[in-house]
Amino acid sequence: MSDATGIIERPAPLASRGRAPSRRRPKAVGGHHRNIGGVWPVLVLFLPPALVLFTLFVILPMGEAAWYSLFDWSGYGAPEDFVGLKNFETLWRNGAFRTALTNNGLIILVSLAIQLPLALWLATLVSHRIPGATAFRLVFFLPYVLADVAAGLIWRFIYDGDYGLVASLASLVGIATPYVLADRDYAIYAVLAVVVWKYFGFHMMLFIAGLQSIDKSLYEAADLDGATPWQKFRTITLPLLSPTIRLSVFFSVIGSLQLFDMIMPLTGGGPSNSTQTMVTFLYTYGVTRMKVGFGSAIGVVLFLICVTLAFSYRRVFMRHD
Amino acid sequence: MASIALNDVRKFFGHHPVLHGISLEIRDGEFVILVGPSGCGKSTLLRMLAGLEDVSEGEISIGGRVVNDMAPKERDIAMVFQNYALYPHMTVADNMAFSLRLAGAPKAQKQAAVARAAEILDLSHLLDRFPRELSGGQRQRVAMGRAIVRDPAVFLFDEPLSNLDAKLRVAMRTEIKALHQRLKTTMVYVTHDQIEAMTMADRIVVMNGGRVEQVGRPLDLYDKPANLFVAAFIGSPAMNLLHGEAVAAPGGTAFRAKGGGLLPLPADRGVQPGTPLVYGVRPEHIELAASAACDTEAQIAVVEPTGSETQVFMTLGSDSLVGVFRERVADEPGSTLRLRIDPARVHLFEPSTGARIDAAAASTSPIREAVLA
Ligand SMILES: Nc1ncnc2c1ncn2[C@@H]1O[C@H](COP(=O)(O)OP(=O)(O)OP(=O)(O)O)[C@@H](O)[C@H]1O
Ligand SMILES: [Mg+2]
Repeated sequence: MSDATGIIERPAPLASRGRAPSRRRPKAVGGHHRNIGGVWPVLVLFLPPALVLFTLFVILPMGEAAWYSLFDWSGYGAPEDFVGLKNFETLWRNGAFRTALTNNGLIILVSLAIQLPLALWLATLVSHRIPGATAFRLVFFLPYVLADVAAGLIWRFIYDGDYGLVASLASLVGIATPYVLADRDYAIYAVLAVVVWKYFGFHMMLFIAGLQSIDKSLYEAADLDGATPWQKFRTITLPLLSPTIRLSVFFSVIGSLQLFDMIMPLTGGGPSNSTQTMVTFLYTYGVTRMKVGFGSAIGVVLFLICVTLAFSYRRVFMRHD
Repeated sequence: MASIALNDVRKFFGHHPVLHGISLEIRDGEFVILVGPSGCGKSTLLRMLAGLEDVSEGEISIGGRVVNDMAPKERDIAMVFQNYALYPHMTVADNMAFSLRLAGAPKAQKQAAVARAAEILDLSHLLDRFPRELSGGQRQRVAMGRAIVRDPAVFLFDEPLSNLDAKLRVAMRTEIKALHQRLKTTMVYVTHDQIEAMTMADRIVVMNGGRVEQVGRPLDLYDKPANLFVAAFIGSPAMNLLHGEAVAAPGGTAFRAKGGGLLPLPADRGVQPGTPLVYGVRPEHIELAASAACDTEAQIAVVEPTGSETQVFMTLGSDSLVGVFRERVADEPGSTLRLRIDPARVHLFEPSTGARIDAAAASTSPIREAVLA
């Protein structure tokens, strides 16, 4: 009996298998057609402009820079003096470039270790609905709204040893006026202070937005569960804010690597290159000294660092966001 | 376990009063439901019990201790929120064990407590999931589990079933009631759904506009609503309430509605002809007259059969009247229904104050005394 049913049943799937494709194919093809019909106009309409713009303004200049970086070229005439990787070699030997790299690292470190915690702390204070909170938010955010160049200029005056705010404060306390920006050992810290002042408001705003998206009743539940304020911060705020924190770290790192327009009016990379960043270095050594080939090599290195950091960061930390 | 006492509790948001002096005793182990329309202050009162809102005036004590100035965690209470407030980044097990983790309890104790709560609520197979991976009903149970793990003296619920679909709501109703019978812990439960209140509560507190309208067992509220608000709020479909006055009729007094209908009055309330009244009768207490003897006649407007019973919307003069009948009503709209109303099941209210006119009041009424004399 069981044998018989087995024999009868076995051919059945075969038969249906034979029939199935003929039944399905027209349907599948029809579906495919419809799908392509929906996608092609979109591709034709939207892809070429984007592709052209991207090629014109991103791929081509990058390729060009990479090409120029292999030449000793002033920017006039055609690049003819092919030098291979010599520009990169010179770059690596350059002490100012290594200082710039270190400074960029320092700026990233300070952004992460001081600026972000400060922004987070202020955000937790200011995101409460206490009277005056909006005013504080605005005040903290103001430096970010300021143009970088303007901020650099303002702080150059503040730091000025003869008639700046720091000078008046020093004379008030009765100590010798420090010429902060003229001191090789301290100038970079003065710059770091301005960086923190300029950008913490931006991160604070990010954090406020993140905090406001956390359901208030979670904190009430935690209150009932017996959480102290610190426990609430550690077990609820931090984990639920982590996508925002990762985003903020991302912006900090990329922003630190690109720091330029604030430093130029502030120190111009000096004194004696102690406050160079990669971009000010590029500008000073590549652009103002008419060494386009060398400058391009700096640009290529900077680009590679940025891309590596950005992609590995996104892959490792932001893959869930 | 603990009793709760509220003594003239008031709440202001700024200068805006929300609760106007609430006094209430809740016995140890009792299941009390606060019910009332939206915005009447139920959640506010519950949150004051929990310590999430300050008490503006008055006194709240839990288990004999005044808790006005106590932090939520010192009150030995657990609360189930309307949106459940589950920690989204923690698994079900971690959500439930959170309070123990904060208290630094050993791992074995946490596991045992979670396992017990999970078993009670049938959550054991979900312990490793995150809240986003659960259905509404499961989330609801996790929220209750988190409360059970605490083993609190009082459970507070704020509309825990309002996010569930109708069928699940009925099922969870039974589950919560069973939970109360099993744990025998004091529970205070907020809802705006009077059916939920009627089916689950030991006692119901009906609130309206920041005041308590009536406190009582579900059937007491149904049988003897203290005022018009409770009469209209408790019972579904709602009680028919007709404005009118008592008039002299052959064999005593009757009620004449403003719309013109004439209805029988209970003799024991001692109302005199000319007294303005609000006349209340529940739809399920109106019957179809079997014989020629009927109390009143009404015209059918709409017939809604539900199978087990028939709900009929009628017009009585120019008033409308709803009846729920066991019998099937086959008549067409427009035709006349002959109705009987048992006077003993009629509720009378004073139109000015809305207060119930009781038989007890009649014992001192002049008519009753005249009859006795
Ligand atoms: N934080 C607050 N600030 C100001 N007014 C509030 C606040 N919370 C509640 N209210 C007001 O208090 C009143 C009662 O609110 P409550 O939330 O207690 O109502 P409810 O009975 O729970 O209503 P619902 O059934 O809609 O939940 C409402 O008029 C509301 O506007
Ligand atoms: Mg509410």
